[in-house]
Amino acid sequence: MDTRELETTAALAQIELREGDLARLGEAVSQMLAYFETMNALDTEGLEPTTHALVKDNRTRPDSVAESILADALIEQAPEREDRFVVIPNVL
Amino acid sequence: MPSDWTRFSAKLEAYKAYALPLEKTIGSFLSFRPDSPASSAGELAGIPFAVKDNIAVEGFPLTCGSKMLADVISPYDATVVARIKAAGAHVIGKTNLDEFGMGSSTENSALGRTSNPWDATRVAGGSSGGSAAAVAAGLVPFALGTDTGGSVRQPAAFCGVYGLKPTYGVLSRYGLTAYASSLETPGIVAKDLGLLETVFHAAKGRDPNDQTSLDAESSTARPVKTIAILDGLSDLDPAVTAVYEQTIEHLKELGYQLVAVTLPTLEYAVPAYYTIAMAEASANLARFNGIRYGHRPVYAENHESLVRQSRTEGFGDEVKMRIMVGTYVLRSGFQDQFYTKAQKVRTLIRNDFAKVFGQADALLTPTFPVPAFVHGDKTMNEFQQKLADKFTVTANLAGIPALSFPAGLAGGLPIGMQLAAPAFAEARLLEVAAAFAGRVPVADCPGTSLDWSK
Repeated sequence: MDTRELETTAALAQIELREGDLARLGEAVSQMLAYFETMNALDTEGLEPTTHALVKDNRTRPDSVAESILADALIEQAPEREDRFVVIPNVL
Repeated sequence: MPSDWTRFSAKLEAYKAYALPLEKTIGSFLSFRPDSPASSAGELAGIPFAVKDNIAVEGFPLTCGSKMLADVISPYDATVVARIKAAGAHVIGKTNLDEFGMGSSTENSALGRTSNPWDATRVAGGSSGGSAAAVAAGLVPFALGTDTGGSVRQPAAFCGVYGLKPTYGVLSRYGLTAYASSLETPGIVAKDLGLLETVFHAAKGRDPNDQTSLDAESSTARPVKTIAILDGLSDLDPAVTAVYEQTIEHLKELGYQLVAVTLPTLEYAVPAYYTIAMAEASANLARFNGIRYGHRPVYAENHESLVRQSRTEGFGDEVKMRIMVGTYVLRSGFQDQFYTKAQKVRTLIRNDFAKVFGQADALLTPTFPVPAFVHGDKTMNEFQQKLADKFTVTANLAGIPALSFPAGLAGGLPIGMQLAAPAFAEARLLEVAAAFAGRVPVADCPGTSLDWSK
């Protein structure tokens, strides 16, 4: 994979490539993709893709009101907060 | 059931005198709290267990072996943990793993180093390396892990204990930190097969919080008569070949009929597996952005920069590589070439298994082509470790159950063999493994003991 493709992919993945990352991670990514291409030797014409081994249908449940006991405990995990709000840098 | 463990609370000080020095050498836990309160009711009453640190346990950290989540404490229990607790067992620690379950050695953990209790210069395997090491060292009688492509079975094989990857959906994934959702399942590591079975039955079944969870169908339970073996296996370490051949002889002498079969798609299972796993990982790990929880940079000018810095600083190299590959194969224009292709290969693998199980009740293969390798082994780098996953990933692609069992020793190291069966036929795996253990008892890891319970 060339440097531009790698940088585009990293930007989409919201990862910064820093000094030295380009060579090291770039090589590992290219090696994986080249390996994936070995699948092309296999004829898969006309086969249905398997997205899930055993799940065949969508499952729904009644839309009923229930209490969540987790909300406050989860909010407390935020790195920075004010009351029940999560603080982030200015958006505008 | 090993009766010694029910005396755990009464013998706590003796246990700690045994466990704490040993744990210093092997490093199986990321958090270790032997004093956690025990329960006195239920079929597992008083028995302690350990949980891989990517599965939620209320009040314990949930680090996933990552700097990203180093400070996160779980406010709830995963369904499998809650069910095992309800049966009377109690959690005494969270075990080390490759970051987010990505690896085969536990060397990708950002938070600790785990060594094999059989030989501390060697790895415990991965990604559930801490769980397997803790069980092998006699620090807990059983532990939970997760298995996305072999992460319960391979460390179990390296450490000389049992590792069960059940049928996809039979153990709920609620409370697991998602890596590759269509492939992964909780799994159980234990040294005692009867205990493993009790834990499995306590934990299994449909869960309203996991829409892919399933009730096990029992119709496939029948005595095993025929076992398939693969024709023309190559690329195995001589130690693994030797134990594999001995295992076949033992199974013949136990009266099983062995049938040679082929899995024509086996060589393509690993690229298909990693294409799917990395694609799903890139989507699942998008949630880690340093906003609601997890690592946040000291300073960020704006929201975008906060997310980017959080991920860049929080994730290790292997995780970044997998996210980037996954992002690439899902980019418009590349999806058919990689992702859809891999899903079609997955169809072929399922078809292969359907044929095999038309001819035999179960399939025997080695769990991993080599025994536990030494820390930092250059011949088993990250890429080579992935190639070696071929026997284990097939079960995840097909969603079928598989069990790694201790089959013998070679050069002082345990070697594991794997049995696979059709969906919901876990009973067949346990039945054959129990018969085998009647002939070849599970070896004790040198230096481990249950004397503290006396």
